[in-house]
Amino acid sequence: MLLDPEFLIVQTLNGLQLSALLFLLSIGLSVVFGLINFINLAHGTLFMLGAYFALSAARAFDSFWLVLLVAPVGVAVVGGLLYLVLLRHMQRADPMKQVLVTFGLIFVGLESVMIVWGPLPHTIDVPALLAGSSSVLGQVYPTYRLFIIALGLAVFLLLYLGLERTRLGAIVRAGVDNRTMVAALGIDIGLVFFLVFCLGCGLAGLAGVVAAPVFSIFPGMDMSVLILALIVVVLGGPGSLKGAGLGSLIIGIADTYGQVLVPELARVTIYALMALILIFKPAGLVPVRSGH
Amino acid sequence: MSEVVFRAEGLRKSFGSLRVTDEVSLRLPAGRRHGLIGPNGAGKTTLFDLITGEVEADAGEVFLGGRSLNRAPPDARARAGLARSFQRNNLFPGLTVHENLALACALKHGIGHVFWRRLERFTALWQEAEENAGRLGLADHLGQRVSTLAYGTQRQLEIGLALVQEPLLLLLDEPTAGMSPEETSGILELLSSLPESLTLLIIEHDMDVIFGLAERITVLDYGRVLLEGTPGEVRGSDEVRRRYLGAAH
Amino acid sequence: MRERDPIQLPVAGLLAVIAVAAWFGAGYFGQELLAEIAILAIFAMSLDLLVGVAGMVSLGHAGFLALGAYATAGATVFWGWPPAAALAFSVAVAGACALGVGLFAVRLGGVFFIMITLAIGQMFYAYFFKARAFGGDNGMSGTPRFDLSPLGLETGDPAVFSALMLVIAGAVYVALLLLVRSPFGMMLTAIHQNENRLASLGCPVRRYKLAAFGLGGAIAGLAGALMAQHTGFVSPDLAFWTLSGEALIIVILGGSGSLVGAAGGAAVFVMLRDHLSDGSFWEGLRLSGDIATHWQLVMGLFFIAVVLLARDGLYGRLSWLVDRVRSAWRGRGGGA
Repeated sequence: MLLDPEFLIVQTLNGLQLSALLFLLSIGLSVVFGLINFINLAHGTLFMLGAYFALSAARAFDSFWLVLLVAPVGVAVVGGLLYLVLLRHMQRADPMKQVLVTFGLIFVGLESVMIVWGPLPHTIDVPALLAGSSSVLGQVYPTYRLFIIALGLAVFLLLYLGLERTRLGAIVRAGVDNRTMVAALGIDIGLVFFLVFCLGCGLAGLAGVVAAPVFSIFPGMDMSVLILALIVVVLGGPGSLKGAGLGSLIIGIADTYGQVLVPELARVTIYALMALILIFKPAGLVPVRSGH
Repeated sequence: MSEVVFRAEGLRKSFGSLRVTDEVSLRLPAGRRHGLIGPNGAGKTTLFDLITGEVEADAGEVFLGGRSLNRAPPDARARAGLARSFQRNNLFPGLTVHENLALACALKHGIGHVFWRRLERFTALWQEAEENAGRLGLADHLGQRVSTLAYGTQRQLEIGLALVQEPLLLLLDEPTAGMSPEETSGILELLSSLPESLTLLIIEHDMDVIFGLAERITVLDYGRVLLEGTPGEVRGSDEVRRRYLGAAH
Repeated sequence: MRERDPIQLPVAGLLAVIAVAAWFGAGYFGQELLAEIAILAIFAMSLDLLVGVAGMVSLGHAGFLALGAYATAGATVFWGWPPAAALAFSVAVAGACALGVGLFAVRLGGVFFIMITLAIGQMFYAYFFKARAFGGDNGMSGTPRFDLSPLGLETGDPAVFSALMLVIAGAVYVALLLLVRSPFGMMLTAIHQNENRLASLGCPVRRYKLAAFGLGGAIAGLAGALMAQHTGFVSPDLAFWTLSGEALIIVILGGSGSLVGAAGGAAVFVMLRDHLSDGSFWEGLRLSGDIATHWQLVMGLFFIAVVLLARDGLYGRLSWLVDRVRSAWRGRGGGA
């Protein structure tokens, strides 16, 4: 089976598609973790919210591209509100409290979604432009899924340029490396952090939007991706853009092939990998902190 | 000259490109009162960390009573006879003074792992903790939570915890830091009442304290030993005066 | 000499009285709830040993609960072991696995300890989810209960079973309380407060943490075995991390580190869930019974409130209250 080119191409593309989604989902989590060691367990909830916002937006507007713009912004706003009302006050709390408050948010999010959109699964259509299939190395593959891969890549490049070339990016990089030093330079790290947090939430929402036409939209769709995103963060190294990219690639491909080839052991191995990284390489594969 | 109890050979440590301890060697015979001075950032506390194993040395070796401690973690070094007090109070804030001292006593007697008998039943242990409190001038605060104590009182306990261990070598990191003159003289009295066989290595910024207490003094500068000698020799050294004492006085 | 935690035993006594009264008053459904509370209390107390006493925040504790449950299910169903022997097996398996996991996990602290325990708990979940021998994600049923027929007791009777669970929970409580009050327990408390200083006083901190982690896992395994007996059914959900999260909430709600608080927290948690998901409860409040369908929303808000407001939990608040009343009493006595 492994030597069958058809199988290889399709599964690799499936893996890349998952990688792209995981990257969009985990980059916000990763940067927030890198900046203040804060684990936002409700990050998956924002992904789910993105999908549901897309559902409503698709009913309201005709254009998928408008949906692609509006829904993530909506999620970013929700994330920003959460930050202002709740999470901002948790920054100095001990890690257990941070984790558990966002844990409570998971349930709130889950039920809110059920109240607004009902408990049954929904689907939305693939936009007409991307509805067909394309040929990749002689294999027929849904065009929309190729779009997801391309989007993931584009966002990665945009963020890379943003981090390397803009003032905000420089501050964020410095902040991950040494937060107190940045604050000492008189930069309002709180504001920077707020913007980064909203952007991360928006990207999680974007992941939800683009995932919506492929997977069905249902309450609880956040649970399965949340832990995978956490693994990506740990694997790549908290706060590292390249790490999140690399981690998403590894986990996306490994999980896809694993589920097909060794379904009994695939996830177990991935969790074990996360544990091993934490023990032997706690800064991840692409460490960003110079160490303090 | 009495037998060497503690020996450090060629200790080295760098943080990044910054060398904070550079080829430091030290020999302390039993019963020696030894001072360690130097300007801020000279690497005094780091040297303590290297000796106790809290920070791993890049090179060099530490011996206590002829035994190499190099591979031993801090807790094993403590059991081998090293005790230290910290520059900043480093206590168990939610426990009472009595409990803090009892904790140290329990570890000294090696009964920390006992899970089948209630701690209250170890009356001798509590007794010992109470006696120690008396010796340390903490008898009035026995039942008080550490977090509710005044700074100076916490400082006494900080030193007390190390004393309770009855070590071969006692490391005191600025024991009188932040204390009033009365409190300082209380600490000095306590230190002078220590058994003569105890070996003491003390970091101190208060020159009156260190010159009054130490038989010999090592001066550190930029992680290196600048000079080792009697208090008189250290005082008389032009280089020390220029680099350090001059700045302080 | 010292009066540490003076309300521990009175509160435990009060809780025992309430439990006995509830047992006498409960009907069929009430007995089921009581058994559930007792088992959850065991689980929560085992987590409290880690979190509240030793300061190790685990988000994977449910993994050991599931191990215990599956060990009992497997041993009784596949090998035909008597439930009591299977229970001992469960404790051993969960304890041994916890020791193995702890060997690595106790090196980490803070948020990294949370993450690694989460990963390992999910590892167990993923394994059971796919394990065909254990029915995969459908789980497996058929775990029998203790056979107490030689004593003339029928454990199929909810009243008998719940009484048994309460007794076991009480025994676990007493054992853990003695442990916490031993020199070893004192060391764990000190580790929570200042690990590095304890090491510099000569305590092999990691070994102590490992011992606590193993013991906590073993007791979680016991709770799992009892849970399998209670429902006769095991499923991968027992290992899912949200169960660990809920147990953490219970510990905080009851009062972290107070043991009896964890048991009380378990009772409050089960009762609350039961009420919130019951339409007539909301109608009693003159609200729509439909809210009951969305009880998880209320529960989630409750979780957040607990974490933000509880500080030292129900037990801590009670302790504070007793303190105030006492000093007021003394003040009045002094004035008279």
